[in-house]
Parts: sequence; C-alpha cells; structure tokens
Amino acid sequence: MSEIKEIMWTEKYRPKTLDQIVNQTEIVERLKRFAKEKSMPNCLFAGPPGTGKTTAALCLARDLFGDEYRKNYLELNASDERGIDVVRTTIKDFARTVSMAEAPFKILVLDEADNMTPDAQQALRRTMEMYTNTCRFILACNYFSKIIEPIQSRCAFFRFAPLKPEDVKSRIRHIASLEKLSVTPKGVEALIYVGGGDLRRVVNTMQAAAAMGGVDEQVVYRIAGRVSPKELKEMLKRALSGDFAAAREETMKLMVDYGLSGLDVVKQIHREIMGVEMDERRRLQLIEEVGEAEYRLLQGGSDEVQLNSLLARMALICGGGGPP
Amino acid sequence: MRGRWASLSGPWSERFKPTTLREVAGNYSAAEQLEQWVKGRLAGKSGLKKAALLSGPPGTGKTLAVGIIARSLELDLVEMNASDFRTEELVEGIAGGASLQASLFGRRGKLIFLDELDGISGRQDRGGISAIIRVIKGSRFPIVMAVNDPWDPRFRPLREICEMIQFRRVRAPSIEAQLKRIARLNGIEVEEELVKRLAERAGGDLRAAINDLQMLGEGKRVLKDSEVGMLSARLQERGIFEVIKEIFSAEGVLDAKLAAEGATVDPEMLLQWINENIPSQYPDAGERAFAFNWLSKADVFMGRVKRKQMWELMGYVYELALGGAALARRGTYRYTRYNFPRRIGLLSQTKEVRGRRKEALAAIGREAHASVKKVATEYLPYIELLIESGKADEGILRPSDSRGT
Repeated sequence: MSEIKEIMWTEKYRPKTLDQIVNQTEIVERLKRFAKEKSMPNCLFAGPPGTGKTTAALCLARDLFGDEYRKNYLELNASDERGIDVVRTTIKDFARTVSMAEAPFKILVLDEADNMTPDAQQALRRTMEMYTNTCRFILACNYFSKIIEPIQSRCAFFRFAPLKPEDVKSRIRHIASLEKLSVTPKGVEALIYVGGGDLRRVVNTMQAAAAMGGVDEQVVYRIAGRVSPKELKEMLKRALSGDFAAAREETMKLMVDYGLSGLDVVKQIHREIMGVEMDERRRLQLIEEVGEAEYRLLQGGSDEVQLNSLLARMALICGGGGPP
Repeated sequence: MRGRWASLSGPWSERFKPTTLREVAGNYSAAEQLEQWVKGRLAGKSGLKKAALLSGPPGTGKTLAVGIIARSLELDLVEMNASDFRTEELVEGIAGGASLQASLFGRRGKLIFLDELDGISGRQDRGGISAIIRVIKGSRFPIVMAVNDPWDPRFRPLREICEMIQFRRVRAPSIEAQLKRIARLNGIEVEEELVKRLAERAGGDLRAAINDLQMLGEGKRVLKDSEVGMLSARLQERGIFEVIKEIFSAEGVLDAKLAAEGATVDPEMLLQWINENIPSQYPDAGERAFAFNWLSKADVFMGRVKRKQMWELMGYVYELALGGAALARRGTYRYTRYNFPRRIGLLSQTKEVRGRRKEALAAIGREAHASVKKVATEYLPYIELLIESGKADEGILRPSDSRGT
C-alpha cells in the first residue's frame, strides 16, 4: 500500500482507454480514428494543466498497442530533461529503433515541451523528420507559442480546453460512487471552483478532503488554502509583514527543498498574492513588482538576486523594516 | 664611494617622491583640502574642526601630502606611527607636550601627525583613542591623523570631531604616468605593455606599483613586458571583506567601482557577496530595496554578458551593482560585520539531502506522469495532507528499490 499509483486517486482513476475519457470529445474522436487506422501524424497537445493531455497520449498508446504498450511508448518530461543532450541521445536512441511486436510505429511523448530550450527544439525538429518511419512524436505543452514554428508546422494541433463544470461534476460523481463516498452538492461546487478547470487539482483536493473528514464545502476550501507549499505561505506572510530576513530564509528553503527555480517561485507568489487579503491598491503594486521580477528573470537575471530584490520591494511596499 | 651609493639605494618610492602638492598623483584635491584646513587652523579661522582625519587605502599619498604641506608651510612635523608604542602615557607625553609647547626652533608652529592609527590595538593602547581626543581638545596646533578604514567603530568618537578627508585609490592612468616618470629618471626604457600591467596589478596602490618597478628595473637599461613573470603575485589581494566595506562606504559610482578594482574575486562572486550583505548593511526597508533593485538590474546585465558572451557590458554590471550598493545609504556609513555568501555553503551542505529528495519526487513523477517540479507543487502538498490524516504512509515519500519505472 505504499505505491503512488494505488494511493493517489489521480492515478487510480486515470482513464485507461480513449473511451473512458469524459471530456474533450472532439479531440477524442480524432484520436480514436488514429487508433483505428493505426496511422497518425506527429501531434502537438496544447492546453492548461489538468485537462487530459498526458492521459490522452497514454490512452491512445494503449488503444494502439494494447497492454504491452510500454514497449513502444516513452514519456519524457522536458522540464526534467530539457537539454539538447537528451534530444541527441535518449530521444534519438528511442526513435531510431524499430517498433516491437505488431506496432506500426512507436510513440514518444514529450511532456511540458514548452520548457525545452530553443536549441533543443531545433535539434528535435531534425530528429522528428529523420525518424518518420519508425516514430511518432506527441508534444504536450501549456503554451504552444513557446514551441518554435518549424515544429508547430510539422504537427497536428490539438487544443485542450479547461474542463467544463458538468464534465468535472460527472467525474466527481463517478469517483465518489466507486469510493462509496458522499459528497454534498455544495462540496461539488466548491471542488469545481477551486479546481478552475484543472481535473488533477479537483481529484487531489477531493481525496484530501475525504481523508480530512468529508467532502463538504468547508473542508474543500480549508484544503485549498493549505496546499501551496507551506514555506511559500510562510514566506509570503513574512514578506507582507515587512520581515525581509525571515522571508528570505523561507525562500531559500523553498528553492533548496523543493528544487523550484526562481521563475517557479515567482509564479507561485503571483498565484498566491491573488488569494491573500489586503488593500486592493497594495495588491496592484505587488502584482507590478512580481511581474517586473519575472521579466528580469526572463531577461537573464539569476534566481537568488532577483528573488531578494522582489522580497525587498514587497517588504518596502507593505511597510516596516522588520526586526533590526 | 660606497657611502654615496648607499644614500641612493633607498626605495624608489621615497627617492622619487614629489615635492609639491600638485604632484600628488590622483589625490590632488584631497591634498588641497588638507592644506586649506591646515592654513585655516594656523590663521585661527573659526568654525573649523580641531583635527583632520585622513582616510584611504595604502599607497594613496596620505603621509606624502602631510610631509609636503609641513615643508611648504614651514611647520615642524611631529610624527608618530603605529610602530611606536602607543600607550596613553606616550600619547600624552609626546603629542600632549608637543601640542602645548611652542616650537624650539622659533618657526611658526607645528603640525602633529599620527600616522597608521589603524594599528592602535584595544589592549596594548588602552585608552589610546580617548587620550588622543583629549590631546586634540587641548592642542594649539593642527593635528592630522591617518587611517585606512575610517569606519572602524573604534574611530567613531574621532569622526565626530574631525575634518574628514578621503584619499582614493589611484587610477591606473595616473599610476602609469608616475611609473614612466620614475623609469625615465632612472634612465630605464620600459615597454608600454609592462607599465600597463604593473599599474593594473597595483590595485590603486601607487607605492606598490613603484616597488614592483624597482624590483624589476634596478640596474637595468631596458625592461620588457616578458619580465613581469619575475614578480611573485603581489598580495594586493586585499581581503574581500575590506573590498566589500569599501564598496558599501563609497561616495559615488566611480568610487564604488574603483573599490572593486584589484579585488581577486570574479564578478559573479562579487555580486554574490553584495547580495549576501545588503540585508545586514541596510536593515532599513527603503535602503535595502534600493540596493537590491540596482543589484537586480546589474544581475540582468550579468546574464546578458554570460549568455551572449558580451563582455563589453561588464562595466555596466559593476557600475549598477556597486554604485547601487553604495548610494542606497541615506546617512553616514554604518559599520557592519560582513558574511560569506551563504548559498554556496548551504547548497553544498544540503546537497545530499536535496539529491535524495529530488530522487523521491522523480520516483513519484514517473508513476504520476509528471515532472519533479509538478510533483513538488501539484502532488506533494496533497500527499502531505494524506499522511497527516493517516491515510498514507510516510514511506511513499522515500524512494525505494521496489518502486521503479
């Protein structure tokens, strides 16, 4: 019982075949045709988190290759392995060898492909062309504009929309019945609200709520308020009370313990700031500062300096010099 | 015959010393400020501080200026420096006596000069500073003191009653000019490249540059650039702490930039030092945010330098980062204890822990089809809640051999 795939509902209830996917009907229809014809182009799946991109790729592979799909299927996470070396070695090695069993080709999924460096993308483009006989590529990303155009033009484009409330609701009901769980109508609404169209978050929140006493409105919101890394909350609290030194300490932990990059932290701060109660004008000022920090990071600034600068500005705006 | 040569064998920095203030390389204005103050004191002008405190790194002309002024104003120079044993009694005995008595030689007066005050130690020179202050208060004659670091907390009482005069590091072109002059006087032909190199390595210390020149050139007619290898690396490697202090206490952008000259840390490391020490230097939220803001702009330039190999932008990095660090200061410089950049330490200390943690997240990620980052932000907080409520075992956060791809 220590296996993630048994414990986490997101894995336990992840659809296994294209038929089980409840939403994205148009996309699913097209993918089913690929499976039936045993033929498909390279694909680009773009859409917000938790909308089924990775699941669709997995289901397609299963429908195409059967239970032994893993022999012909490789999933790489571009944000973990995003260098040009990965394209040159891992990807090439997989793509150039002939598929096993009866499969007409192999599938390589590059998740979070928008995190690949432009150089790596250029290399990928050549690889994609070179191995069209043996391998199909599915690139999943949040922002397709970060994928270089030559790759976009070589892929069939699938846009994944945030899940509609009724689709989320039917998924919640489905899981609740299998887990023999009662969920209050207000609880369902709360889950839909905190999920914001991200099914992963909905299911994770639902599971945590079930563990913490039941899926009702109150528990759901309490969890939603707790699930950003606690160091982040602590850090924000410190910065907003003007205690720079403590805020800096927490930021350090966040980066060291969670392996977050400066950009990740800034984005999290952005998300979090919207939820903290404060004077609205002050919120406006803070948002500007966060945006400026993100911009400078993208311009080539280093994580530590840019975060310190941001925290110092936040502490200044929110008054107080902190303890001397 | 031998005697005559002996008299000419001293250090070139002494033998070719300038004789007028005009020639005090790089620090003419500071020297002039001192002269004006001494003249004012002698003339009994009101509103002047009773003593002057010269500050600046070694080899910038402090002692030289005092000597020239004493000579040109025909004053007896009563000089003490750190090599003298400076107990309270000694200070009172020599300086106190000198400051009260008229000069034996019937000249117009005396100039009392306490050099290398940094050498006063807390224990041996017990009461030294307070004795000096008493002497200053009772003295009829101008008293001039010289220190390297005026911001040392021991000197705070002195700062309040002294005219503060700052000598700066001598810039490379001025050092070059002096080296050429001295080489010419010695009849040595020196390659231009060598002059440049000597000036650069001196880090603003003219005396050091002249000493290097003498080491290479004594007894020679021609000096080639290739001979610089003879010099063992000059330990102009000022301590990094000193460099940081000079940067934070600088008066302007150029000043701050010069402070970093001759520092042996690479630019990135220097920025890390500034990054680490801004919070302790500036507990005030406004000053701190100011310094960080400019550092962050410099940091962006640094990124461009590194990414695009645009080394010609490096000047901007220094000016923005160091200038910002200095100009954030609203009042006077506050003495601060500086720290090593902690990140280096922290990262290496926790390297193993982080490695294990990342491994655990990656193991979860393989099963959840998610990146390490996504596991950290989208799964881990929920998993922690499950563990907290007893629905999951803590073991799932530990990577095990049984769990693979």
